[in-house]
Amino acid sequence: MSKLYVDSDKYGYQCEFPISEAYNAGIKDLVRKHLSASGEAWENFVFGSEYGVLTRQTMQALEDELLGLGYTFEPSAMSSSRERPEAYKDSGLFATDFSFEDPDAPTAAVDEDGRELRGAGDNVVTHDTNLSGTARYVRTIDTVLECLSSGVAADTIAIVDDSGGTLTAPVLEKFHGVLCAGGTTRSHLAILTREYNIPCLMNAKLSGIKDGDSLEVEVSARAKTAEDYGAERDVVARVWRRA
Amino acid sequence: MSELKIDYAQLLETNSMIQQNADETYWLCATRTVQESKIFPVSAYILYSYLNCWYRYPSLLRKMEAQMSAEEIGDRARLAGTKILAWTIPCFYLLGREMLINWGVNKPTDGIEDLVYVMDFWKRYQLSWHRNDGNLTNRMGGHRAQIMPEQRLQVFHADAYECRDGDALHTAAQGFMATVAQYGFLVSCESRLTSHNHGPYKISDTREMLVRDYRELSEADVPWLDDVGRDIPYNNLTVTMTIEGCHINLLDDWGSFESEPELKAEHIVAVGLYSADYLSEGHVPVGMASKQELTETFNDLTARLKVATAKLWEQMTAWTRDQQLEAGALTYFAVAKELAHIAGTYEHDDWMMMDERAERFQPLLNDEYGNMFLGELVGYITCPSQIMHEYTMMQHTGLPRRALSYIPYSVLGDESYVAGVGGMRPGSTTLGAKADRYRTSRGVLTLDEYNQLSREFVPQACQEKFRFLCGDWVKYHADTAVADELFGIEQQHSRKLKGKGAGLSRADVEALRDKE
Repeated sequence: MSKLYVDSDKYGYQCEFPISEAYNAGIKDLVRKHLSASGEAWENFVFGSEYGVLTRQTMQALEDELLGLGYTFEPSAMSSSRERPEAYKDSGLFATDFSFEDPDAPTAAVDEDGRELRGAGDNVVTHDTNLSGTARYVRTIDTVLECLSSGVAADTIAIVDDSGGTLTAPVLEKFHGVLCAGGTTRSHLAILTREYNIPCLMNAKLSGIKDGDSLEVEVSARAKTAEDYGAERDVVARVWRRA
Repeated sequence: MSELKIDYAQLLETNSMIQQNADETYWLCATRTVQESKIFPVSAYILYSYLNCWYRYPSLLRKMEAQMSAEEIGDRARLAGTKILAWTIPCFYLLGREMLINWGVNKPTDGIEDLVYVMDFWKRYQLSWHRNDGNLTNRMGGHRAQIMPEQRLQVFHADAYECRDGDALHTAAQGFMATVAQYGFLVSCESRLTSHNHGPYKISDTREMLVRDYRELSEADVPWLDDVGRDIPYNNLTVTMTIEGCHINLLDDWGSFESEPELKAEHIVAVGLYSADYLSEGHVPVGMASKQELTETFNDLTARLKVATAKLWEQMTAWTRDQQLEAGALTYFAVAKELAHIAGTYEHDDWMMMDERAERFQPLLNDEYGNMFLGELVGYITCPSQIMHEYTMMQHTGLPRRALSYIPYSVLGDESYVAGVGGMRPGSTTLGAKADRYRTSRGVLTLDEYNQLSREFVPQACQEKFRFLCGDWVKYHADTAVADELFGIEQQHSRKLKGKGAGLSRADVEALRDKE
């Protein structure tokens, strides 16, 4: 078998994540096999005969091989699992009675003010007072459509998965507050909530909060800055469920 | 192998630029994490775009330079504003290379004449864009972007209307900036490429100004705005936003900013609104005749943008995954098309197609591989090509990593190499046809008309008489008639400074302002 240039790497060996390595190794193997079989010089292969070897069909075959082993992909975009349910894991987005159950979410028993700690996140902007409202998971296009057709209750604290700003685009400004399970205070959703002056926690680690729960969010806490992220400083704002 | 045209000094400089981008790539990505979306397969489309950049940028940048040099393009961009190009051009391109190295499809010695050229183009463009602050990137300026000359800043300063938290103008401006940012993320398929900021600029001891550009809002290059953008009367809008009691302490090469204390609505104390494109004489005021007109203009634009946002969201959520993937990839790849418009070399098939050399890898780009491989490339820096010897301490992490591979100096010796990726090859799209309508400051044009006008138009400030009259020249020649003419170009549309010439100080300008 031909040895590739990258096969002589003194320092690097393989990617960290199995799926990265599976695909990358598969492509390298196609190149090795072709060079072995053809005896072709690299200078003829690269930007030349490679286009007949590394084709859409051979790339598709790599995926087919992986799926043939029973592997299924973690979905990100809703269209991915909707169009190819056989290739993607169930997104869980349509589960009823859903709640985030982050093992890193801080929790504590009900305090003297009747608040039960159910999580924490990175505060985008410091507000004068904490935020009170009602939890509503907004995880799908269908939920956004429902918000558009039926409206959004004035005290809605939207709980969303992703740090992007597109899923909630037509309804974001209607939310009283936002808890986002991903991202940082510099993510797109954080930028937008800042512009709209909507209280927001990013990177929220939550546990046990259900649709309809009454929440208090500590948006009076210090906002987390790029410097905090760089120094890996723990700067958190808490989320309580109220009885 | 072609005859090597590059030398040691060029390689040293190219690798240094690669390193600067490598360090900033990590920092920018680590402080934001990967942006996920339920609508767009973001990581997958980002990877897809990188490949298109690697294969197409060398040809497309050379095509521009056949018409206009990178540094002259930079002059025009500085005059009209542009999209985020500082980080995007080199890093999209270099990350495409990094992917292919990790796939064993390219060696670090492949395509190196192209690579040297692309980085040199970027350097010359960037130095020109940053001519007024002398930096190559915002990063080099301590994360600051003082792009504009005094004569334009004076106009922005003079003509801005005062506003206070809760008053009609403040509410209208704030609503507009939130709505246009929201629309922009959607137009750009979950990327921030529609919005850009530069500054801060010092207005007084307690005030600073940010210049906020929103670009490609109307019918323009992307087919998904053909219908959606038709009622947006300006393709580009610029808000000048003056803040008080708040210091912008960071403005990075993605145009994001941070402040101390954190910026809140109450810090915004004056605003202005302009539009500029590559066919206009700089920034033309929009709704700036009175405070009331500006308030109404912001409100009207906000209403239009909300309608467009709802229509676009509906359109994009109905797309197939292939269309979502491709739209995102083209948005990233085509950010550099701004420069093709300046040069008058924009072609739809160049910029709105996925090259067949990139398209062949599309079946790899499922959501999970996209997230994991992109995460390794720009966040964790754990791809094999990025692991360095154990004595290495990478900036920011101290780990033995380097985000982007250098060109090995051994190519100057006897190591073989391949010069370039080759010329343009066919592309394809699943996004449907683009209407031949491009909204500009000269009206809605066909592409042929647009390119023709771009090639013919030389803004006054870029004509021979004024082109090299920089801030250092003004410093010693402000009392000359030519300096008055130079300032007069920017002042021609100004409510407060028309005909005032070059001699005003910042305090003079402040004294001329409307106080309410």
